[in-house]
Amino acid sequence: MRRYGPSLLLLFVGAAILRISLFGELYLRYVKEGLRPYLIVSGVALVLLGLVMAVVRRTAHGEGGHGPGDEADDEHGHSHARSPRVAWLLTLPAVALLLFPPPALGSYSAEREAARQAARGVGGFPALPAGDPVELTVAEFGSRAVYDSGRSLEGRTVRLTGFVTHGDDGTWYVTRLSVTCCAADATAGKAEVRGAPDGAPHGAPPVDTWITVTGTWHPKGTLGTDSAWPPVLDAARVERVREPADPYEQR
Amino acid sequence: MENQRTVRRTVGDGLRIAVRALVYAVLGGAALLALATVASVLGPVLALDLYTPPVAAWWTVFTAVTVQGVPFLLLGTVVSAAIGAFVPERVFRRLLPRNQALAVPVAGAAGVVLPGCECASVPVAGSLMRRGVAPAAALAFLLSAPAINPVVLVATSVAFPGQPEMVLGRLLASLATAVVMGWLWARFGREKWLRLPERRTGPTGSGLGAFGTFGAGLQHDFLHAGGFLVLGAAAAATFAVVVPRSVLDLFTGSAWLSVLLLALLAVVLCVCSEADAFVAASLSGFSPTARLAFMVVGPMVDLKLIALQTGTFGRAFAVRFSSVTWVVAVLSSVLVGWWLL
Repeated sequence: MRRYGPSLLLLFVGAAILRISLFGELYLRYVKEGLRPYLIVSGVALVLLGLVMAVVRRTAHGEGGHGPGDEADDEHGHSHARSPRVAWLLTLPAVALLLFPPPALGSYSAEREAARQAARGVGGFPALPAGDPVELTVAEFGSRAVYDSGRSLEGRTVRLTGFVTHGDDGTWYVTRLSVTCCAADATAGKAEVRGAPDGAPHGAPPVDTWITVTGTWHPKGTLGTDSAWPPVLDAARVERVREPADPYEQR
Repeated sequence: MENQRTVRRTVGDGLRIAVRALVYAVLGGAALLALATVASVLGPVLALDLYTPPVAAWWTVFTAVTVQGVPFLLLGTVVSAAIGAFVPERVFRRLLPRNQALAVPVAGAAGVVLPGCECASVPVAGSLMRRGVAPAAALAFLLSAPAINPVVLVATSVAFPGQPEMVLGRLLASLATAVVMGWLWARFGREKWLRLPERRTGPTGSGLGAFGTFGAGLQHDFLHAGGFLVLGAAAAATFAVVVPRSVLDLFTGSAWLSVLLLALLAVVLCVCSEADAFVAASLSGFSPTARLAFMVVGPMVDLKLIALQTGTFGRAFAVRFSSVTWVVAVLSSVLVGWWLL
């Protein structure tokens, strides 16, 4: 154990990383999409390193020589070959990822986030892509609703996907978190949903239900001020959907 | 005669091993059985009671910070182990000016070449010191590398469209902080604060060969730093769950308080240096100088980094160095902000 402990740890961490990146899309709950190749490379490298070092130690030991694995503690109280004690903390995230991968952040984090509009000045936006309805991210809808002097949302039917959060006195929102690098930097965007969509029961769906809302922008407030926030969507259709593979919007 | 004795000894050894194995198996088995029983009875109850939304959010942020850090930490330890195993000391002697006061800015500017976030720079700085680079120069590199590399600067310009002064301000304030800290260390730093892990196995003469040394160094550095990364991730997740972001809105009024507040926020949030510009951009209620301070402090001082530095250089160093760096970083962003923004 003393000799192979470090190799075991490396194998363990490597396996956990590969499980979420190579054998599935769970990594999207934690980090941005662009990190996948790096995760796969580091997972493979960790597994290989663990195996190679186990073999190296074994042969060095078998030849009767003293590999670094057999050295006693150096003067600083830790040996370079035995795994440092603090390294065993790595088992914590590794076990979590292998056995009980934590869920994506949801309404709890979004509500603590005090949703802010992305900061920018009022100005023109590029034209919306063609399509009826046009698929938009919640964040894009929000910034166009609050800052677009060209009012590109006017007269267009849009479709937003996100989870449900509730506000005061019966208002409810379609909300989505955006992630730049990892879930620690998540920021929330939201749009209030109004109207009684046909086919759906009245009132708000339960918190954290994933939905797709189709509707039109309901202008309010003065552009570029807090009165225009959060944007409002007059919903024509609300559908329940499965949680998307990527629970966050990428910035 | 000889043979008989050998046989008897072998049999005795075998018996002893068998008995020991039996004792271990019985003891271990009993313990395992007890654990499994308790866990299967209490586990589901406890898990349901404890798995509330805040706890789930804690686990998610905790794993996210760890997972995000692993590739960069590995990159840093690969570079650091490669320096340790393959690059002889004279290379750095030739590259860096002999004079420490000159070597510091050169090393600071050299931070441009290591694209990655702050997890990578700590092990590299450690191995530079082991290879005979003056600590002052290595520390300037440690601070500047995650803040001024091209990836980070491009991310900053994307996060602040139409505001190139923000990118310039970040570059200048970060570089200034790194160089000032290097000089401060050269003047006031004490070797005894720095607990450098000595590598007894040099590039030659370890019995493992250069590649064995490389592997052993890599394995040790990654595991060691990884453990501290986990500690830092746990601290960051705890702050993310315990401190509500709405606290920030209380402080947007005062220019001075908001600078200090965002500089503190950078320490507890542990956002990686490639992403912090986007977080800074979303803090729309704050002055540009406060947001600059957030981006200058973040890659140099945060909980994850303090944990990593404690692991690599010792606690005496990490506490002194991080607190002085925080003060210098805030001062330099205030000065640059006042001048440029």
